[in-house]
Amino acid sequence: MSAARLGRRPFALGLGALALSPRSAQAFGEAGAFRARLLVAGAGHTDDARVQGASRWAQELVRRTSAPGRPAPESVEADRPALFREPFVVWSGSNDVGALSMSEVRGLERFVRLGGMLVVDDADPSVGAFGRSARRQLLRVLPEAPPVRLESTHVLFKTFYLLERPVGRVLGPTYVEAIVRGRNAVVLFLAHDLLGALARRGEGWAFAVEPGSTEQRERAIRFAVNIAMYALCSDYKDDVVHAPFLLQRRGRAR
Amino acid sequence: MRRSCCSDAAGLDEAGVTVPALAIAEGVTPVVAVLFVVVVLGWLAAVLFEVRRSERPARGVFVTGIVAALVVLGALFRPVRVSAHQGRVGPRVAVLVDQSRRMRLPGEKGNRRAVALDAARELARRWSSAKVDVYGFADGPLVPLALDQESTLGQLGEESDLTTALSELSGTPGERPRAVVVVSDGRLTRPAEHTDDAALELTLGALGVPVHTVEVAQAAPADASIRQVSTVGAAVAHQPLVLHLTIDCAGGLVCDEVPVTVRELRQGSPPADLARGVARPGRGEVTLDLEVTIERAGQRVIDIGIESPAGDKVPENDHRLLPLEVRRERVRLLHVAGRPTYDVRQLRMWLKTNESIDLVAFFILRTNGDDPNVVDDTAELSLIPFPVDALFTQHLPTFDAVMLQDIDAVEYKLEPYLPALEAYVRSGGGLIMVGGPSAFSGGGYAGSPLERALPVSLPRGVEPYDLRAFVPAYTAAGRVAPVLGGVRQLLGEELPTMEGSNTLGPARPGSIVLWQHPARSADGSPMPVLALGETGDGRSIALSVDATHELGFGELAERSSGRAYGALWDGLLGWLMRDPRYEAGGVTLVGPCIAGEPTTLELVAPPGADGALSLTIERLGPATESVFNRAIPRQGTTTRLDVGRLAAGGYSARMRVGAAPPTRLDFACEAGGRALADSRPDPERLRRLAKAAGGRSVDPNALGDLPLPAAAEVTVERRSSPLLPAWLWSLAAAFALGGHWVLRRRAGLS
Repeated sequence: MSAARLGRRPFALGLGALALSPRSAQAFGEAGAFRARLLVAGAGHTDDARVQGASRWAQELVRRTSAPGRPAPESVEADRPALFREPFVVWSGSNDVGALSMSEVRGLERFVRLGGMLVVDDADPSVGAFGRSARRQLLRVLPEAPPVRLESTHVLFKTFYLLERPVGRVLGPTYVEAIVRGRNAVVLFLAHDLLGALARRGEGWAFAVEPGSTEQRERAIRFAVNIAMYALCSDYKDDVVHAPFLLQRRGRAR
Repeated sequence: MRRSCCSDAAGLDEAGVTVPALAIAEGVTPVVAVLFVVVVLGWLAAVLFEVRRSERPARGVFVTGIVAALVVLGALFRPVRVSAHQGRVGPRVAVLVDQSRRMRLPGEKGNRRAVALDAARELARRWSSAKVDVYGFADGPLVPLALDQESTLGQLGEESDLTTALSELSGTPGERPRAVVVVSDGRLTRPAEHTDDAALELTLGALGVPVHTVEVAQAAPADASIRQVSTVGAAVAHQPLVLHLTIDCAGGLVCDEVPVTVRELRQGSPPADLARGVARPGRGEVTLDLEVTIERAGQRVIDIGIESPAGDKVPENDHRLLPLEVRRERVRLLHVAGRPTYDVRQLRMWLKTNESIDLVAFFILRTNGDDPNVVDDTAELSLIPFPVDALFTQHLPTFDAVMLQDIDAVEYKLEPYLPALEAYVRSGGGLIMVGGPSAFSGGGYAGSPLERALPVSLPRGVEPYDLRAFVPAYTAAGRVAPVLGGVRQLLGEELPTMEGSNTLGPARPGSIVLWQHPARSADGSPMPVLALGETGDGRSIALSVDATHELGFGELAERSSGRAYGALWDGLLGWLMRDPRYEAGGVTLVGPCIAGEPTTLELVAPPGADGALSLTIERLGPATESVFNRAIPRQGTTTRLDVGRLAAGGYSARMRVGAAPPTRLDFACEAGGRALADSRPDPERLRRLAKAAGGRSVDPNALGDLPLPAAAEVTVERRSSPLLPAWLWSLAAAFALGGHWVLRRRAGLS
C-alpha cells in the first residue's frame, strides 16, 4: 500500500484544515444529505487517499442518483458529540485497532442504538488485521448481536443498482457480514477495501483494483452507491410494490 | 314522586259511621296486661286457698279480695271509652300516558298524543271519586303530568318503555295504585312485539293490580318508511360494511319499487354516493342489504333515504341519518419523497416500526439529470416508474393520509393531480407537507389547488426558502396543544437547530401555528414553521423544515434516546387521524338530536387548559353554513350548552379552548329518528297486555267500560276518654285493699 498513513491525531488535525465546519457547510436541503464521515477510534489509521475515497463516495452518489451528498470529508471521534450529527460513518484501516477506550465503546453503542449506521471497511483484507480487531471491539459495543452473513438477496444489493455481490478494490468474499438490529443492518463488515476502490489521486485512481478490470471498479462504485442508498432509504426496495418488478428483472438477468 | 293530578282528599266518603268501644290506657302493652291479670288471679287463688283452710268464717275476706283485685286491675289498666268515625276512600289509580315522539303521528281521530291526553283527562273526570295520578312514560323515568299545564307535557322520548315504567311504579313508596291504565298506540319498545303471554304476565304481574289499556289508534297511516337500519359488523375504513335495511309500506300504500340511496354527508363538498338499491315491499315490509365502503375513519354521518310513492303521509321517516364511528385497523399512509435524505430515512424507519401504519412509499431515486452509468436501465437498476397517475387517481381514496416530502410538483408531474388531492383532503383525507427545497413554493404548489388544502398560504415571487439556520420557537398554541405534548415532555422548550426553512405565508383563518420562525415574518406576524388546519372534512399539516430527524438522531436527540422524534410524529399523525389523545378537549351530544327540538352538547376542556371557550356549529354540505358561533362562559372543566333547535341534517361542531387546535364532533339531527320509524299502531299488543294483567282494553270512546276499583275503608277520626280519673282508681284500690286487710285480720289470717 503506497498511500501515506496518518496517525489518529495528525489525521484529525489534517481534516480540520481540509474540511469546513460541518454546520457552516450545511444549507437548507443539506441537513439530510449523505456524507461518508470517517470514524476515528482506537489505534486505527486511515490514509489520506481513502479520505479522498470517502469524498468520492458522495460525489458518485450525487452524480448517479437524486440523493443529495456532501463531498467535504469529515472525521469524527467515537467519543465526541459530533458523532451524533449524522447517522452514517465509515471506519477504515489496515492495522489492528487495539482496544477501544470505554468512552469510545459507549459512544459507538449510543450511536448504533440511536439508529446510526457504521461501515467497517478493511483496507488490507489480505491481512485482515483491521477487520478482525474491529469485529472484536464491536463485539464489546454490541455483545448481544454477533455478525450475520447478508446474502445477495438482501436489500443492500438492490437499493439502487441490481447487484449480485459486494465488490471493492479487491473482489473479496461474495457476501457481506453485518450486525442486524431489528430489521436494519446497523454495522456492515466489508473485506473489499471499498474506499480504496473509490480513492482518486490526481486525474486517476489511487489504487489499482485486484484482480482488476474497469468493470470491477464500476461495480465497486455501484456497491458504494447502494450502501449510501441503504443509509438513506433503509429497506425501501423491500416494499411490496417493488417486488414484482424486481423479481422480473432478476429473472431476466439470469 | 310528586302527585300531580287530583287532590289527596279526593274520593273520601263523608257519610261515615261512628262505632263506640272500650279500650285500656295507652302505654299498657298486651304483654304487661296479661302479666297483671296472671298476678292478680294468682293472688286471688291464694286468698281462696287461705279462706278454705281457715277455721273461722271468712267469706267476706274472699269477697273483698275479689273487689280489691278488680279495683287494682282498674287502676292498672285505667280503661278508656273510645269513639271511632270510619269513612270510605276512593282508590288510587295510575294513568300512564305514552310520551314517545311517535305519538305525534296521526291516528283516526287526529294526533295520537292529543287523543291520549284527552283520554287521560276524561278518565280523571270520570273517576273524580278516585285518586288519579297521571304520568308520562317514554325512555326515561316516569314524569308526572299536570294535564292542565302544557309546560309539563312537552318532553317526548325516543322509546315507549312500559316495562321500566311499571317497574318504577311498583317500587314507588306510599300507597300502591289499585289499578293502572296505559294510554298508548301500542307500538311499545318494551314489552317487545313478540313477547309471549307468559312473559307478559310475569312483567305485569309484579304490580298485583289490573292493568287496563286505552287504544288511541287502530289503523296505520299511509306510509312508506325506513323501519330499521342495522349494520352487520363494525364500520372499518376501507372495508365493506353491510347496511341491513327494513323498508316498509303500510296504511294501504302500495310500493312496487322504492329507490334507496346511501350517502355520506361531508363538509365543504356535496354528499358522496355510497350505494344505491331498490326495495320492493309491495304492501308490507322487505329487507335490503346494501354494501358500502367508507374510506375515511372517524365520525361519519350517513344519510339513508328512500323515494316514497305519492300518498305518503309521514315523510319524516323517509330518511335516517346514521352517525357512524368508523374505526381503522391500520392507518393506510402514502409517503412520497422527492429525494432520499436522512430526514426521509428517519421518517420511513419510524413509519415502518409503527405496527398501526400500513405504509406505501414512493421515493424519487433518480432524476432526468442523473447519470447512473448504465446501458440497460431495467436490467441494471432496481428503479420502477413513479406511478403518479394510478396513485393520485385510482388509489388515492384508499389512503387515510398522504405525506408529500420535499417533492417537486412540476418536475414529477404532480400538477394535474393537485385538484384531486385537494378534493381528497376536503372529503376527509389527511395531508402532511414536509419541507425541503422542493416543497411548498419551491415545489410549484403556490397558487395550486392544493394550496387551498394547506393550513398556510404560499407566497409567490419570493425566495422559496431561507438558508439561515434557526431554532423554531413554540407559539402559545404549541405550548398547550396535546399534539406536541410528548415532545415538550421530553425536551421542554428546546428544539434542534434547523438548517433553513421553506418560506411560508401566514396561517389561514382557523388554522393553528404551533412552531414559528424566530426571525422571519409573514404579513406582519411570525412566519409559521409547523401549522395545523382543517379543510372540509380533512385535516392538513404544514412543516416547513427538513431536519426534524435531528429529534431522532442528533446531539439533542441523544439526550432523549431519540424518543422525541416518535413523540412528534405520533402527535402529528394522531391529530391528522383524529386520535382523541391529541384533541384539545371533547365534544359530545347529550341525548339524540331531533330536528326542531332543543339540542344539548357537552363540552369538556382538557385539564389545566386556559383560555376562552368557543363553539362553532356548521351544517355538513357543499356550502359552509354556520348555525351557531359564539364564545361560551366556562363552567369548570365540563360545560353543558343548549345550542338551540336545529333543522334535520348533519352538523359539525368545533370547540376551541383558547389558542389550542379545535376539537370536532360530527353529529346528525333527524326529522323523526327512531321513534317515527314505525308509524303503525299496535292495538293488539295493548289487548294482550290487558288480558295478561287482568284488565280491559278499550278505545277512547269506551272509557266508561273500565271498572273503577272498590273504595277502601279507613278510620277518619278516633276519640277516647277515661272512665274514671287515674287518682280515683288509685284511691279506690287503696280503700279496697285496706278493707280486705282489715277483714283478714279479723278472720285470723295474716
